[in-house]
Amino acid sequence: MTVKAKTSPKMAVQIGPLKLKNPVMTASGTFGYGEEYAGYIDLNNLGAIVVKGLSLKPRLGNPPPRIMETTGGMLNAVGLQNVGVDAFIDEKLPFLRKCDVAVIANIYGETYDDYKKVAQRLSAAKGVHALEVNISCPNVKNGGLSFGADPKIAAKVTSIVKNETSLPVIVKLTPNVTDITSIALAVEKAGADAVSLINTLTGMSVDLKTRRPHLKNITGGLSGPAIKPVALRMVWQVVQKVSVPVIGIGGIMTAEDALEFLIVGAKAVQIGTANFVNPRATMEILAGIKDYLIDSKIKDVNELIGTFQP
Amino acid sequence: MAGNIYIGEVLENEEVQENCFLMKLRTAPSFDNPVPGQFVMIRIAGLNDPFLSRPISIYSFSRNEIFCTIDLLYRVVGKGTQILAGLIEGSQVEINGPLGNGFDTTSVRKNIVFISGGIGIAPLSMLIESLSSKSEISSSQMIMYPGFQSISAVVGLEKVDRLCSDMNVCTDDGTVGEKGFVTQIFKKDIRQFKPEDTSIFACGPRGMMKALAEVLNKSKFICQVSLEERMACGTGACMGCAVAIKDKEGAMSYKRVCSDGPVFDLNDIIWD
Repeated sequence: MTVKAKTSPKMAVQIGPLKLKNPVMTASGTFGYGEEYAGYIDLNNLGAIVVKGLSLKPRLGNPPPRIMETTGGMLNAVGLQNVGVDAFIDEKLPFLRKCDVAVIANIYGETYDDYKKVAQRLSAAKGVHALEVNISCPNVKNGGLSFGADPKIAAKVTSIVKNETSLPVIVKLTPNVTDITSIALAVEKAGADAVSLINTLTGMSVDLKTRRPHLKNITGGLSGPAIKPVALRMVWQVVQKVSVPVIGIGGIMTAEDALEFLIVGAKAVQIGTANFVNPRATMEILAGIKDYLIDSKIKDVNELIGTFQP
Repeated sequence: MAGNIYIGEVLENEEVQENCFLMKLRTAPSFDNPVPGQFVMIRIAGLNDPFLSRPISIYSFSRNEIFCTIDLLYRVVGKGTQILAGLIEGSQVEINGPLGNGFDTTSVRKNIVFISGGIGIAPLSMLIESLSSKSEISSSQMIMYPGFQSISAVVGLEKVDRLCSDMNVCTDDGTVGEKGFVTQIFKKDIRQFKPEDTSIFACGPRGMMKALAEVLNKSKFICQVSLEERMACGTGACMGCAVAIKDKEGAMSYKRVCSDGPVFDLNDIIWD
């Protein structure tokens, strides 16, 4: 009797027009511009790298303190500090072009015109494979209320970006809304090729000695394992409503966490805050997903996606 | 000098002073030689509370053919360090490091002055140890100003006491050494030093560094300081550990303590 060698399961997934080697991507704002982690993992083994959010002009970011640890997670109010789209193209993209990995540029603006211009510039640059649109940021013209909080405004941003680019457009949704499925449906109708969710949940924390907020900005975005059940619930709800691919994000620390998202129907996952505590988290999660597929005798990860039994 | 992830085994974790611990960790020989002023991120693998790794500067480092030994001198300030303090011999931790940019010692001068506040002595002790083995500084003299709150907080003097030609211990309450803040004690002596033949290295709490900036204000002294800030990643990705820095044109930007620092030129720091 011969023992058959375990064959590696097929891991490629399709996010609309974008083909990924595997479903494990990095989440924007947690992986710098890729270079920061090149010493820890082989970037080429990632499904995709989503770079730190890019704005039209460089942004200073918020004054410190910017982060605070909370139970099972952290709050951040970095304020989208970034080098700006032009410096990204000139200084950061050349490194990423040398990698054999899908590069997704996360973009954000304070006005519709910001989104339009950032999308234009990235579309003209070689080496960007998709855009992820952050609509969680405040809309200056609309009293600072986030673009992602209103289905009409979210749809408008989506169609503006779609008009400027031939790249696949992923819209990243904020969980700080009453009904995330209505936003997901609106951006799908406006032409989004995929949606990714969730961004951070707004939270705060108080210093008992001074009775002041731990963050200079008072409130910040909560991330980490504390938000995973909320994220999973929202992904499941959105998967049932939209027909475009859904990318699951929120507190994924382990392969088991990632598998839950795939089972409820996420085509891929993004690993965020886990990178901070374990720079090799993405690779451990990828290996764990493969092991699970082998143990479950599943030959292709796509056969697992959406097999949830409610 | 790239950081990487290593498993560290706790060889010793002794309370050497009230709330201050000396942890000796044994790790793989592939751990890069750290530069004084660099730090490591320490974490108990798999633990979600505390969730983040803790940045701790390297106090001492040695290696043989089989393993490296990293000494960390740390003060218990919260939940994370409290849990580290409870680790017993044989426990394992995850070490990410060495991280950050250490002190620049390429052009140290005749007088090398070290100013520390509390546990801030840790990276300076490693710096002093490293400088003392350099032949090019054999004609320099090392002068130390270690400040503490009280006699019960005095820590980390073992090596520096032996290696510095001049020790000026002081405490806020006068229970040992001269009474006063270390920046005031240094200020009294500042005329002994000429900016052109003096290098200053400092590490301590934010208030001490700010006071030192005032003492050195508009002088030509060059002072390198090692800063501390809450960190999530330690590798430059999270942008959490921001410090306001002015560039040559005077424009302000936020730099990352973890990867742009932790060592900065005191003159460049903008205090609010």
